[in-house]
Amino acid sequence: MRQTAGTLNRTWLAILGVLVLAAGITGLLQAAGTLQTIAPTPSPGTRVVTGELHPFFAQPWLIALILVIGVLVGVLALWWIIAQIPRKNPAGTYRLQHEGAQGRTSCDPSVLAAAVEEQVNTLPGVVTASALLRGTANEPDLTLKVTINDRTDVRALLRHLETSTLPQLSTTLEAPLYRRRLQIDVSTRTQSTGTVVHSTGTILH
Amino acid sequence: MSRNDGRSTRLRHRPSRIVPSLIVAILLLAAGVALTWLAVARLLDGTWSTILQQPRNWLAGLRWDSPDLWGLGVAAVVLGVVLLLCALIPGAFTALTVRNAAREDTGVGQDGVGQDNEPGMYKRETVMTRRAVAHLARAQCVQIDGVSAASATASNKRVHLKVTTSLRETEDLRARVTDAVRERLDTTGLDPVPRVTATMETTG
Repeated sequence: MRQTAGTLNRTWLAILGVLVLAAGITGLLQAAGTLQTIAPTPSPGTRVVTGELHPFFAQPWLIALILVIGVLVGVLALWWIIAQIPRKNPAGTYRLQHEGAQGRTSCDPSVLAAAVEEQVNTLPGVVTASALLRGTANEPDLTLKVTINDRTDVRALLRHLETSTLPQLSTTLEAPLYRRRLQIDVSTRTQSTGTVVHSTGTILH
Repeated sequence: MSRNDGRSTRLRHRPSRIVPSLIVAILLLAAGVALTWLAVARLLDGTWSTILQQPRNWLAGLRWDSPDLWGLGVAAVVLGVVLLLCALIPGAFTALTVRNAAREDTGVGQDGVGQDNEPGMYKRETVMTRRAVAHLARAQCVQIDGVSAASATASNKRVHLKVTTSLRETEDLRARVTDAVRERLDTTGLDPVPRVTATMETTG
């Protein structure tokens, strides 16, 4: 249901991986003296820092540069950490109709989602359900997570959702569902609402 | 970020690499804070912090072919490869695909491909988490006569059961267990149905 930053993570890890790998390979080539044969670099036996460090570090532009790099790296890292928090990204208010001066009809998607949850919770074998609406009123996008017990007939549950629950949502919105995603989970708990009768025994004829 | 465009994302997805990302991001944040603090301290005090003295001496004596630089180079190569592997290895899907009920009703092919792009239908995706599949398989298994206890693990292509029984001859029970669990997963609508294997352990 909640969305994570998978693409962002892969992208940044790949970029940093390439940069660190390139730096490491360059360092090793320079230490081995191989880099000197293809580029005008210092010989391996010389010092890395040839001049005095004190005058170099006393330059005002260097302090500003370190400050800017520090702030930039810190802000980007903080943004990356915050991006790891899973988000629901629910839809804003659905604007169902707009009739100029006569007024407009709007609906909070969480109310519709709660109605869907309530209806799904009454289905046989459903332990709990949570629904989330995204998209717009014209292109509603429903994500549904249904937790069932281990004896539930999943095919019957899916048929009921497709033929009853979801069409009712479409009718309410006066628009067909643009997208429906359903995640089924299995619990050891029994249904909190409705009645479930487990038949386990031998039938004698 | 694409996830903020108001649309749902696929429920059957690869791992998000949150742990390596968090580790790298925290290290970068620490580096950023350290650099900022050093620069601000230099601006306020007029001199660089004394903790920089040792790194400065180390840097002044460093040669290009010194063991320290070799070590740094090897460490950077290893770190770069690890980061690239974290980014490039796709990882297992978090859930298994379930056939949609409408496919059975309309007679549309049940190949499980293109569930999100069927013409004339709204886009739909139905999945079952790997944990749910394992739980379902275990629940089916413990109902079979002869099974004392069972545990199950599920991947995208395989469900493995560890069955404890008091029977000495377990081959027949193994066949009954795998058949029953496979049938249960098939009737549930998993597409494709994962391969079911079982390990039998005799007690007593």
